[in-house]
Formats: sequence, C-alpha cells, structure tokens
Amino acid sequence: MKDRAEVMENVITHENWKTCFSELAPGLVLFARQWVRSGADAEDIVQEAFVRFWRQNRDVANRGLLYATVRSVALDLIRKDSRRARREAEAYSDTVQTIEPQFEDDDDSRRLLAGAINRLPHEQREVLVMKIWNDLTFAEIGEGLGISQNTAASRYRYALVALKKDLLPR
Amino acid sequence: MNDFSEIENELRALRPVRPSQKLYESVARQLDGPAEAGPVDNLIQPNRFRFGWLSLGLGLAAAAALLILARIDFPISPRHAPTIAMTPSAAPAGAFASAQFIPAGASRVVYHTQDEGLLFRGGSAAPVRRVRSRSRETLQWHNPGTGASLRVSYPSEEVQLVPVAGQ
Repeated sequence: MKDRAEVMENVITHENWKTCFSELAPGLVLFARQWVRSGADAEDIVQEAFVRFWRQNRDVANRGLLYATVRSVALDLIRKDSRRARREAEAYSDTVQTIEPQFEDDDDSRRLLAGAINRLPHEQREVLVMKIWNDLTFAEIGEGLGISQNTAASRYRYALVALKKDLLPR
Repeated sequence: MNDFSEIENELRALRPVRPSQKLYESVARQLDGPAEAGPVDNLIQPNRFRFGWLSLGLGLAAAAALLILARIDFPISPRHAPTIAMTPSAAPAGAFASAQFIPAGASRVVYHTQDEGLLFRGGSAAPVRRVRSRSRETLQWHNPGTGASLRVSYPSEEVQLVPVAGQ
C-alpha cells in the first residue's frame, strides 16, 4: 500500500499534470459533488477547474488554491442558471439525499457511514472531505475556503463528533 | 490521545467513486491539445460584470419621476400659479421650479455583503477575492421656497475584487 504522505509529496513536486490529476481526481470529484447531485456535473466542474488552475500554475504546490478554484467554478455553475441553482439549493437543504453514490463501498456499515456523512452540515462536510479524502492541512483548507485554520480544525472536530454520535446506535 | 482515530480510520477506508475515463480524456484534450488562442482562462465570466439592470431601471424610473414631479410642482403651487396665468411669456416654468430644488443629502446603506470566494483574473496567477455588496442609496432635494422635499431611493449592487496576498 502506498504511503499517503509519499503520494501527496509526489503530487506536490511532480510537474506532469497526468500524475497530479490521477492522484487528485477522485478527491476533487468528491469535493465537487457537494454542490451538485450527479457525478457527471461534478466531473464537469473538476475538469474546468483543473484545466484553468493548471494553465495558471503548472503545478499543484498550492493545493488550497486548487480547491478554491473548484469551489469557485462550482458556485459559478449553479449561479448561471437560476432554475438550476434553485433546484440545487433545494436538494441541498433536503439533507442532501444524493442520487448517485459517492463512495464505491457496498458494505452495509460503510454505506451507513456514507449516509451519515451526507447528513452533516455542509460546512462540516466540506472540511471533512478536504481533510480525509484530499489530505489537505488545516492551513490549506482554511485558504481554500476563506476561513481561519482554527475554524477549519473546529469544523472538522464537530464533523467527527457528529458522525460518532450518528453511528452510535449501530 | 486522539479520540477520533477509530472514526478517522473508518472514513479513510471509504473509497470515493473513481472518476470516469471521459474526465481524464477531456482534461487531456484541453491540456495536451493545441494551445487555445486568446488569454488564459478567467474564472470570471464576462456576464458576471453585467450591470444590475433592475437597479439601473429603478434608478432611471426614479430620475424620470423626479423630472415629472419637478415639472408639475410649479403649476400646483398656490403662490405661483396666478403669476403663470398672467405672464405666459415668462421663462419656462418647469426649468424655474426645478432650479429651486437644491440637493439636501445623499446616503448609502450597505445591508448585505457576501464573500463569493477566490478568483483568478485573466493573465494573473495571483487570486482576488470577489465581494458582492448590496446597498440602498438615497438622494434628497429640498425646495426652500415651498418647503417641499423630494427623496429618491433605489437599490444598488456592487462587486469588488480584493487582491489576496499569496503564500
């Protein structure tokens, strides 16, 4: 099994976009899924964001900015069409009942965990996604979301507490 | 000791769905293909800078209302009406009446400010933060001759791009 830190170090230093993208794409798509209900839309967002980011930066040393770009593209996308924005916002407030699965696992306990993640408040879930599946530091998360490092850390902690509480009766 | 290590391990065991091959091909087509003409992509869409047409329309409507009120104010003024009737060849009444309104004040109240995240402007690697603010602007005029006052209030929207220091 590849060491995650080593993988991320390679991603940071490697200038070939294919290496970077293949390592980051699953986490980026998962991150983008928070604003849209379908995987196809999330992929569109990631494609547009990554291409723009790569043309500007030629590497992913500043990962906080990469995620900020994804977030910005996602928000622009849902603002473009007001009907779509309204639909997404409604989907958003309905505890985000995702239509397509966001995780590959079929195991029941993992499905429960995935459901609990979907029930998290959005601000906690986005920090959780950035931390767990994208390996960002709290400083990078803070930069990407425009919040302080301490706020990112406390949202992460609240998310874990909420997940533990949600899964307790199991 | 980390109380969350167990739940963190469970979370890390969840594997995000793999993106489709189409995504990789699309990105490859754009990054490995011939360079596109024109400036580097910009996150800010051209139509993001469109005017707030509603605000502009309301502002124009308010200005039109101001002109109409200024023109009809003079004839209904009891002090001046007889004079107009007796001296039809005098200077245009509307111009005279409107000249009597003098600016009495202006205010701008910002009631909503929203941080819309970081953007990259064309040709620049440095990000900027887009801040949208909505406000209500009020203009007031006063006619010292008749004691009449006129107030026009309209909503406005402003988008500011604030440079962000790089790290």
